[in-house]
Amino acid sequence: MAQRCAVHQQRAAFAVCMQCAKSLCQECATQWDGIWYCAACLTGRRAGPVKRSRAGGWIAVIAASIVILFFTTRLMVWAGVLLAGLR
Amino acid sequence: MIGAPLSATSVLDESASIVRATASPWVGLLLVTSLPYRFMQAVFADRLLELGSSASQYGDTLRMTADLTCVAFLLSLWGRAVYARACRLTSASGSAPGREALRVPLAALASYIFVASIAESVTYMLFITAVGIGVGAILSGMAIGTMELNDRPGVIAPLRLLSRYGNQTRIVVALSFVFFCGFVIAALNVATLFGGCLALVSTIGGWDASRWHILLSFSNRRYILMVIAGALLVIEPFWIAANVLLVRKAGVTESGDDLRLWFEELKQS
Repeated sequence: MAQRCAVHQQRAAFAVCMQCAKSLCQECATQWDGIWYCAACLTGRRAGPVKRSRAGGWIAVIAASIVILFFTTRLMVWAGVLLAGLR
Repeated sequence: MIGAPLSATSVLDESASIVRATASPWVGLLLVTSLPYRFMQAVFADRLLELGSSASQYGDTLRMTADLTCVAFLLSLWGRAVYARACRLTSASGSAPGREALRVPLAALASYIFVASIAESVTYMLFITAVGIGVGAILSGMAIGTMELNDRPGVIAPLRLLSRYGNQTRIVVALSFVFFCGFVIAALNVATLFGGCLALVSTIGGWDASRWHILLSFSNRRYILMVIAGALLVIEPFWIAANVLLVRKAGVTESGDDLRLWFEELKQS
């Protein structure tokens, strides 16, 4: 059974919004930079996020990446030593 | 525009044509940036095999190699991000992109580094189990596939995207199995290539072929490691292209039925 547009129930779905996963008909789907979006998500993207939350996001993602990369190198050594010990 | 509905075979079919279209220069860039990482992984494995049960006494040396591997890993992540963007632009426009493929959004790159680091650590955590490498490869594939959907930096959104597009379990597992078989075939081809080159070079006078026969034999563990690294390098462009297409196709429900219904609606209106 074909999916239906979330806004126009009588129409068959053409695409899925890559941000909110809503099914969309041809009228509701807009492709931007090669990716399908619904009108609401596209408006949100174009408006841009609040500056403060973006700074928080940057700090969080950079700090988390550094911590995980640090532990990844340690895990690499531990797993390697464990495997080498089993030989 | 995506051609066929979502299935493992359609993803594989279209990823092969995307790899062909992006071969120059984006596959080249991917290989050049991945080469140091695969080399360092091989060096690390070689040191471990050499040290054997006394590896625990050489923690500092191993940690230094692991740190260098981590630096090479970051370079390879940038190469993969550029290549994934090139794949997405190719699938959208039908032709290989120019320099715009280099303009990977910083937020997407940061989110990708974060998720790929998690995938890498999961691989090492589960390395001792039979499923460790498979789980790590799937996670890392989904990370590169969803990379460009991250429009702002954050730690929750990339993981949410990963879970949303990771629910295509059947296709993801089918792709992983196909790529595992592809890896074995690629390894055999790389080994055959080395053997073939050696046989050709042996015909040239003055070449110390006997020494190379020993070096390029399966009794040499470094040769085995290089063959594995070579096979991973060969298969990587296809794996990334398949994951980018999988995520893109999961976002488009276009199918024969949908088009037929749409055509009927057009006729009625």
